[in-house]
Amino acid sequence: MTLDPLTLVVFAPLFGAMAAFVAPRAAAAIGLATMALTGAAVAWLATEVHAAGAVRTPLGGWEPPLGIALRADGLSVAMLVLTTGVGLLVSLGALDSFKGTANARLQQYFWPLWLLLLTGMNGVYLSTDIFNLYVMIEVIALAAVGLTVLSGTRAALRAGLEYMYASILGALLFLLGVGFVYLQIGQLDFAGLIGAEPSAAMSTALALMVVGLLLKTALFPLHFWLPSAHANATAPASALLSGLVVKAALYIFLRLTTYMPLPDEILVALIGALGAGAVLWGGVQALRAERLKMLVAWSTVVQIGLIFIAFARAGQVGLTESWKAAALLILAHGAAKAAMFLSAGRIKDEIGHDIIRDLDRTPVRPTLAQFTFALAAISLIGLPPSLGFIGKWSLMEGAMAAGYWHWVAVTMVGTLMSVGYFSRVMAGFLRFDRVRAPVAEHQGWALADLPPLVLALGAIGLGLAAAPILSFIELGYPFGMTP
Amino acid sequence: MTPDLIYGVTGIAVFAIGLVGAIVAQNRLRRVLALKLCSVGAGFVLIVAAWRSPPDAPDPVPHALVITGIVVMVSATAVALALIRRLHSLEAEDDA
Amino acid sequence: MIDTMVIFDLLLAVAVVALAVASMTTRDMFAAIVLFVVFGLLSALAWVRLSAPDVALAEAAIGTGVTGALLLRTLHHVQTVERKAAPEPLPVPMGVQIANAAFCGLLTLGLAAAFAGAPRGGPGFDLLVADAMSISGVDHPVTAVLLNFRAYDTLMEVVVLLAAVIAVWQIERGLSDAPAPALGEVWQGFARLTLPAIVVVGTYLLWVGSSAPGGAFQGGAVLAAVGLLLLLSRLYVPRPSHRGAARVAFVLGTGAFAAVALLVTGGGRMPFEYPLEHAKTLILLIEGLVTISIAVTLAALFHGREPVALPERAAGTGGRDDA
Repeated sequence: MTLDPLTLVVFAPLFGAMAAFVAPRAAAAIGLATMALTGAAVAWLATEVHAAGAVRTPLGGWEPPLGIALRADGLSVAMLVLTTGVGLLVSLGALDSFKGTANARLQQYFWPLWLLLLTGMNGVYLSTDIFNLYVMIEVIALAAVGLTVLSGTRAALRAGLEYMYASILGALLFLLGVGFVYLQIGQLDFAGLIGAEPSAAMSTALALMVVGLLLKTALFPLHFWLPSAHANATAPASALLSGLVVKAALYIFLRLTTYMPLPDEILVALIGALGAGAVLWGGVQALRAERLKMLVAWSTVVQIGLIFIAFARAGQVGLTESWKAAALLILAHGAAKAAMFLSAGRIKDEIGHDIIRDLDRTPVRPTLAQFTFALAAISLIGLPPSLGFIGKWSLMEGAMAAGYWHWVAVTMVGTLMSVGYFSRVMAGFLRFDRVRAPVAEHQGWALADLPPLVLALGAIGLGLAAAPILSFIELGYPFGMTP
Repeated sequence: MTPDLIYGVTGIAVFAIGLVGAIVAQNRLRRVLALKLCSVGAGFVLIVAAWRSPPDAPDPVPHALVITGIVVMVSATAVALALIRRLHSLEAEDDA
Repeated sequence: MIDTMVIFDLLLAVAVVALAVASMTTRDMFAAIVLFVVFGLLSALAWVRLSAPDVALAEAAIGTGVTGALLLRTLHHVQTVERKAAPEPLPVPMGVQIANAAFCGLLTLGLAAAFAGAPRGGPGFDLLVADAMSISGVDHPVTAVLLNFRAYDTLMEVVVLLAAVIAVWQIERGLSDAPAPALGEVWQGFARLTLPAIVVVGTYLLWVGSSAPGGAFQGGAVLAAVGLLLLLSRLYVPRPSHRGAARVAFVLGTGAFAAVALLVTGGGRMPFEYPLEHAKTLILLIEGLVTISIAVTLAALFHGREPVALPERAAGTGGRDDA
């Protein structure tokens, strides 16, 4: 067998999903084995990319434009590592949160849906073909909706249906964009996009695809479906949806705008303005949120906005620099938000509710989960030495160098607001004077606190490794023009 | 006036109708219908891109893409409809 | 001669757009679905005019036929399970309607302007496909694209179908048995008469797929129609003990497709790179298994919920798993 790691990264979770669906009793064991195998494949791919720069596999032996090639460079591998790493830890957390016979059915369906989701996301990070990307985002959409409604509550189903409508519409806008690309250049691979002359059809295609992707990644004001979908899912599903799934569309957006540059500086500024809207509006909503998971979900809207601001301050400094800031923020948010949703789920499980104003009235204190939540908040607020800090700092540094003081101001205001809304939660954790009964000896620790803790520590600790991460992301020139 | 021009504009109009329907419709089933219209509209555009004035044979690649798109769309529709049925049953229980 | 065809195209185009508008604006949902089905069939007819008979077949069978059945089944469910406090839809003010129509028109004009400026009629894949046809293992270009040149897309498309059926089983778990559609004596007789014919047509479509319009997806849809009739006529009632077989049938096509794609790498080839001398056999094998999976999956999507154990079903009227 001359197996290559690119194919294995997509096929391992696919076979795992099928096995977990056919043998539901063994779903958890199959799922964990699959995660280990996928992790090994990603590690293999990482060493190859580290040694050789970009690697590619033309599937079926057909070279693009006729065939489809898989391609990995530093950025793809970084996304794959984030996805499998966070995915593995969330899977371990899921083992605990789905234990017990009452949850047997949840367990049975969680694994195949999650592994299909992983197949789709890994496929996106290796794709070089815009129609293939359309099919991949549909795989992600269906699996993600399945995970959103796993709890089966009315709120989750309503949110899941809205998510479904938004997701399909986003994908169809993307598909029409693909149609316009085909009308103009008769090609679907990235290399074909680079060579394309500017034209009305290509601009229309770009507009359609970008709007579709912004809808799927939930950039303000197209974020309407996100908060309730992410807040009403079960904790592991929320962690996957918020930490990983929105990143897939974001990644496609970043890739696409490298190969099909936005034709106008004003459009770049407009996208930045939408990002600023997300930071401010999401911040206000997070300050007003009544439930912990809703607050965390609104914080995702804020962070998505921040990533788009990082993208928008390209300007004179050039796309390369803003890319890096955006990529760092994506990685930091992926780990920190997964940790935060998992720990919020743990807190809710232990104290029986997640109403923020009553967090300080409970005699049970799940201290480890609360500690994890605080650590994740450090990275999301952007305090040193977290990865979130490095990402925000490189955003602001670039913006200051380019003289884009308005982006600096928005980022600062967003940071202050995030201190504000996370403090609401911290205050509830730390106050004991409103507890009627004595604080219970039961500290609410469980093995399930471990995965989110590792994730949160990772989000902070990786800040120290920012330099090697940055140089790895540059392997294979993802920001250049050679696909 | 050639068929590709006529049906290209038709497809675009159908997509626009579906898009507006998906945004404004209040009925859950109607929104699914609207999305399906968008999908047919996008299919029209791809098939027009494949058309060559006879006797030239059409480009087969967009045809394959549209067939893929049709199967993807029926999958998405089925999931959306299952959500609608489930939600309706639960809401009927709430009413009772 | 040309002129009459242009008039026909124009009339068909106007009818398609009018039906699309009507299916969005008709108040009665049943009528809207029927209008949609007519719309789908006329669109398929338009695609025949654009020399895309395979796509037209797929759209008529899956995009219109199966989708229409799914929509009607859901409407039936929504109307059977009556809600007491069903919210009355608010009447849409005239101003809003005009604004919507204007937005729709502007969008159409903008997109149409960009469309008109694009170089239609190439450059496409015509030459590349023509060059590679002789080593593709099949005679029909669309089948070659679907199962060889872009087989990866097609594999992922079957994965989407698999994700859909898993999601649907998950969503409708524990749902009561009540609104399963039954159509009575006439349909039973009709089903007995038509089933064998449909099976023959489906198998034939699959077979001719390698050289003429037709193939796995259309064949699968036709065979799925068999499943629909079996379910509707109650000639087949899904039981909990059938779940294992159903799961295997759902993954059969995807599994075989993916396994072949990997196994061919044994000879030092790329994934999906079928050895030329076995290409036709392998592609037919994949097509056959994918057809079975598509047929079973589409029928299962129509049926909806996973067949659950009887005692559990007798315990309540749905929503038990709502914890």
